[in-house]
Amino acid sequence: MASKFLHAHWPRVLGAGALISVAAHAKPADFKVTDGIAVILEARCQSCHEDGTEKGDLRLDNLELLPLEARLDTLNRMQEQVYFQQMPPRDKRQPSADERETLLAWLANELGRHQASRLEDKLRYPDYGNAVDHERLFSGKIHAAASTPARRWLVSPQIFEQRVKDVFGLEGRERDIALYGVTNPFTLPEKSGVRYYDNDILSGGHLLQMMANAQWISQKQIRPARVKNGEIRADEFADARDRWSPRSTPAAFEEVILQKGMPAEKQLAAAIHTQFGLVLRREPDEAELGKYLDLTREAIQLGGNTEGLRQMLVAVLLESEFLYRLEFGSGNPDHHGRKMLSPREGAYAISYALGDRGPDAALLEAAASGKLDTREDYHREVTRLLDDKEYYKGSVDPAFTTSKVTSHITSHPRINRFFRDFFGYPMAVKIFKDTERSEGYYRNPDRGTLGTPGFLVDEADRIVDWHLQRDRDVFANLLTSDKFFVYHNRGNEEGAKIIREWREAYEHFKHTDWKNDPAGIVAANIEFIKARPSMRELDEQRPGLLMAYMLFFEDYFGKGRTPFTTVPWAHGYTFHHSTFYGLPPTPAIYRYGNWRSREAKEPEPMELWDYPAEQPFSIPNRMGILTHPAWLIAHSTNFHADPIRRGRWVREKLLAGRVPDIPITVDAQVPEHPHKTFRERVETVTQPESCWKCHYSMNPLGLSFEMYDDFGRYRMEEFLENPENLIKQGNGKTSFNQYKTLPVVTTGKLEGTGDPRLDGDVKDAIDMIGRIAKSDRVRQSIIRHAFRFYMGRNEVLSDSKALIDADRAYVQSGGSFRAVIVSLLTSDCFIYRTTKPTES
Amino acid sequence: MTDRRDFIRNAFLALGGLSLPGALPRVSASQFAPRPGDLAPMRFIFIHKGNGLYPSFLVPPTFSKEEMDKEKRREAFTVDLTKHSLPDWMGPLEAHKDNLTLLQGLSGKMCTVGHHSWCSSLGVFKANERLSSIKWATVDFELAKLFPSPLEHIELACFPTGGGNARGGLDTIAMGFSARGAQQANYAFGSPRIAVDEIFKSVSSDAGGKVRYQLERKLLEFVGGNQAELAHRFDGIEHRKIGNYAQSIEDIRVRNRKVDEMADIVKQHAPKLDARYLADGMSTFDRQAGHVEVLLSSLISGLTNVVAFTIDELGHDYTGITGLEAEKVNMHDVGHGKSYGGVAADDIRKRCGEHHMTLVDRIVSRLKSVPEGSGTMFDNTMVFYFPDGGETHHAHGTEFPFVVLSGSNSRLNIAGQYIRLPYWGAENHKTLGNFYTTLLNAYGNPIKHYGSFDMALKHDQSGPIKQMFMHG
Repeated sequence: MASKFLHAHWPRVLGAGALISVAAHAKPADFKVTDGIAVILEARCQSCHEDGTEKGDLRLDNLELLPLEARLDTLNRMQEQVYFQQMPPRDKRQPSADERETLLAWLANELGRHQASRLEDKLRYPDYGNAVDHERLFSGKIHAAASTPARRWLVSPQIFEQRVKDVFGLEGRERDIALYGVTNPFTLPEKSGVRYYDNDILSGGHLLQMMANAQWISQKQIRPARVKNGEIRADEFADARDRWSPRSTPAAFEEVILQKGMPAEKQLAAAIHTQFGLVLRREPDEAELGKYLDLTREAIQLGGNTEGLRQMLVAVLLESEFLYRLEFGSGNPDHHGRKMLSPREGAYAISYALGDRGPDAALLEAAASGKLDTREDYHREVTRLLDDKEYYKGSVDPAFTTSKVTSHITSHPRINRFFRDFFGYPMAVKIFKDTERSEGYYRNPDRGTLGTPGFLVDEADRIVDWHLQRDRDVFANLLTSDKFFVYHNRGNEEGAKIIREWREAYEHFKHTDWKNDPAGIVAANIEFIKARPSMRELDEQRPGLLMAYMLFFEDYFGKGRTPFTTVPWAHGYTFHHSTFYGLPPTPAIYRYGNWRSREAKEPEPMELWDYPAEQPFSIPNRMGILTHPAWLIAHSTNFHADPIRRGRWVREKLLAGRVPDIPITVDAQVPEHPHKTFRERVETVTQPESCWKCHYSMNPLGLSFEMYDDFGRYRMEEFLENPENLIKQGNGKTSFNQYKTLPVVTTGKLEGTGDPRLDGDVKDAIDMIGRIAKSDRVRQSIIRHAFRFYMGRNEVLSDSKALIDADRAYVQSGGSFRAVIVSLLTSDCFIYRTTKPTES
Repeated sequence: MTDRRDFIRNAFLALGGLSLPGALPRVSASQFAPRPGDLAPMRFIFIHKGNGLYPSFLVPPTFSKEEMDKEKRREAFTVDLTKHSLPDWMGPLEAHKDNLTLLQGLSGKMCTVGHHSWCSSLGVFKANERLSSIKWATVDFELAKLFPSPLEHIELACFPTGGGNARGGLDTIAMGFSARGAQQANYAFGSPRIAVDEIFKSVSSDAGGKVRYQLERKLLEFVGGNQAELAHRFDGIEHRKIGNYAQSIEDIRVRNRKVDEMADIVKQHAPKLDARYLADGMSTFDRQAGHVEVLLSSLISGLTNVVAFTIDELGHDYTGITGLEAEKVNMHDVGHGKSYGGVAADDIRKRCGEHHMTLVDRIVSRLKSVPEGSGTMFDNTMVFYFPDGGETHHAHGTEFPFVVLSGSNSRLNIAGQYIRLPYWGAENHKTLGNFYTTLLNAYGNPIKHYGSFDMALKHDQSGPIKQMFMHG
């Protein structure tokens, strides 16, 4: 039946032959290249792929002579090349659409007979999201009934965490706890783009982790009852760092533990029902109850009530259902063979689309009372939950919260995570840099900190959220706004208040003898100081701080600048990243001494950043997220800007294009050359035809970003970091190597917007982004990615209507992403499932 | 009545599985059965310590002035160790000089260094307290994949209970210093008693242990059966989503059965620990000695071919140090030069080191006494002793001195030598990554380079140290 899904969704992709399900032991018919296929191969392929030529070590004139394995391998290679139109090469005569279709159908049939198509499997994965032709998707000519295959969908790392908290019945602030003994078995791929798909399956690694988790969870579940039963003391913990306990053990469990002798069947059944409810959020059916009763009884006979009960708790926790979202649909199929999600499934689907938690009480009530049966019901609940600013509230990504940065808190973190995934800027924390190359400003992630990229990612999160909260022209604003948050660790009002107090203090003290008698000045003005909370650490015990403050104020107010609202000598100060936005630096920690200072030492004059307390604010030479240093670092190498990766991102994420996988025979290296820019070296190495056939779709886009280096700094010159070009050696701490430079060339070429008015040569990335943001295709491409994010799968042709509707909703609402979400979550693709997998 | 011990034991129901990670989908139990003509597997023992290891501590006192000068200038050179005496604290290894390598000059600046390094020194990346910092399986796990065994890998530890990387207790099972794969920490046994209870539970003579063992088996049978039945109701990818999980459970059961089949040999080699190694509040020296007994029994019985042993970590408070038996010695203070009981910090380091060398000698001597093929088990063994955080307490990672002992079937041509490699930044300088790549290449993993690169080094850092290959 899985093939039926393919039939519904991939009819023109793989051909009818792919739909034939053949048991592995079935004897395939003899292989034959039919006359029609032979004609196409001879006309379009064989001149390069026959005895004597064999380009790419591929011969197509002897297919019938190849042993099965070799033939299937060849057919697979052909299928992918033909499907993605990589062959024939662009400069050769192309087959007609019909010829291509015929060839694809034949390949799909031959491979399908052996269930050997690699492409069919690949098309389910994120890297192949753009496989479906964009024009056809948005042509409005596809009228197939849409649905999503019935499925199990592995929970995301975030949903898993929430499910465990549900097992303990935690509510409110209790849910903020990090559960010491639970290790999240799920991770998402570390890459740009939508990452949470329904393809993943439970593996041995998940199992091992879950076995450990289940032990810990079950121990905690019964701990209060064991204390009550005198089995352990209330203050007895095996691990001193793991002293958390739920307030109570569920009554049904407690009853079993406190029971002397074998509990009655009713008691055991109650315990099983309770654990099913907590873990699987449903009642056990009769067969399940019977099996679990047997297990629990046997385990109790062996290990006693407590341990026997715990075995049952563990067994339920190890049910695969705990780790999957179930979406199979219920009721009678409609005339397209689709079933609507059951109300309960629908409630979970909506809630997990908008957040990480299961449904709230109102949604569960709607499901239970027959009020989640229509599209209108879905619309009502989705809009209600989007309006609810509390239920899903939390950090965009708690994993990015460190002692230095609290990951931005917002009402619907999962919505923000779409844009995080789409842009991929959080990957900046995975790119390590040589600090000296940044003149000492860059801090790599380390113990307890995510360093510079941790700050940059959080600042990118904030600007994304700012645009989402405004919810107007979201895509265009994200791509083109020159507004950013930098060092904005306080709100605008609080920041302005601090600056106002500091300015008053500067004016108040600047004509006093603070340099020679700070203690006397502080003592005489203590009430004035106490009235300014921003200077609260300054008191009679630390008069030296007055000197630090005044040197700091002179450095800023005295020179017509505004300081950042946290003093550099503050404990744990780690703000050093303004330079990555192309802004002047902020002071080093000891520039003004500290509270022990007894001598007012004038700092060396230097250019410092004139801090805007009101943010976001405009930064020159920047335009949107693609010029944010977090994105630029995420799409760089350890040592270089990465025009290929940046270009590929634009091609795939914005232009809905596709770049083939790098051939395994290619060892992609940019050659060293002391006198050439990185661009020149990239151009040299990608020039050969075999390379250019793919690189033409990336390089002209990515090279326009050469206006930014690999730290995301705006530049007009590139340092030629080669020992031959060293002008001055630095000590790596206070001075840094200086190299000869060459001007950067930032020109590029935009092709593929679908709009001839936008395509063409561009002078730099900002020019290119400005054009891109006006493209309908780019807007639609973002909608396609949003579809993947909310459906957990790649789009297929039959999803055309849902995509067009979402696009229309966006345009008609003036660029509201909320409108896109509502449209997608009320679409057939979201609400309907196609057939239940075969039950044997 | 269940107590703390029970909790830990029960917790290991899963951790027994956790010590057989990664390879589950790839390795079938039948691979553990020795086949006629099979060569014995290689064994690898990684012993790492906190607080750094001074390179100067490894320099033989009998070096000539010329050699000493080269050493001071950190110039590359190689010396036949058998013609030299070892530093005093390494005295216990005198009898094994033919097998000994003192390897100097490897750098690890791509690791987290200094106070705490998590799994950096075994994984060659900047690890920290977050699972997300684990980039890939540590080298010990990579080697374990090359030489499969029923438990695949065992990790033992004298846990840190203070500092920035503390565990909740010494006598526990907690996150270790090896990694099974990307973002997958391994778990280690903190005390010999817990390790024995769990590793050798299949041959436990304790009534409670037998019950737990039966419960564990019953639970796996139940869950596995449930999932297998469910999987049968689907086909295609939906079948795989359940079937793969069911198969993973079955894989563990197959392994368990294999361990059961090995009961006689496991029972024969199960450690019979003296009461001092089982006592609550045992000294650090005793804990280390007890762990060594577990390590040896695990290897000799064939339960594993790879052991990682955190012999100490900076946050571990030492007890039982020779001459300082009454003191609780904070190793962080020792790192900052503090003396205890009138004993200077460097002497404390040497006393601990000497104890470690006594234990290494015990490992080597014991394995040399176990016949295997035409030689002994040690012929197929490599032991590595090295710091987890570099050359000193506040290390920069420019040096990771290694004490290596290797048997005659080792595929590295390094035994009996003092090897100083070019210093950090010099031409042909080598990193931890190069050394581990050498090991992996030598034993069958053709990886081009294992580990992260040092951002500050400009030369090509990839690949093995070819001179170390037997036919290099």
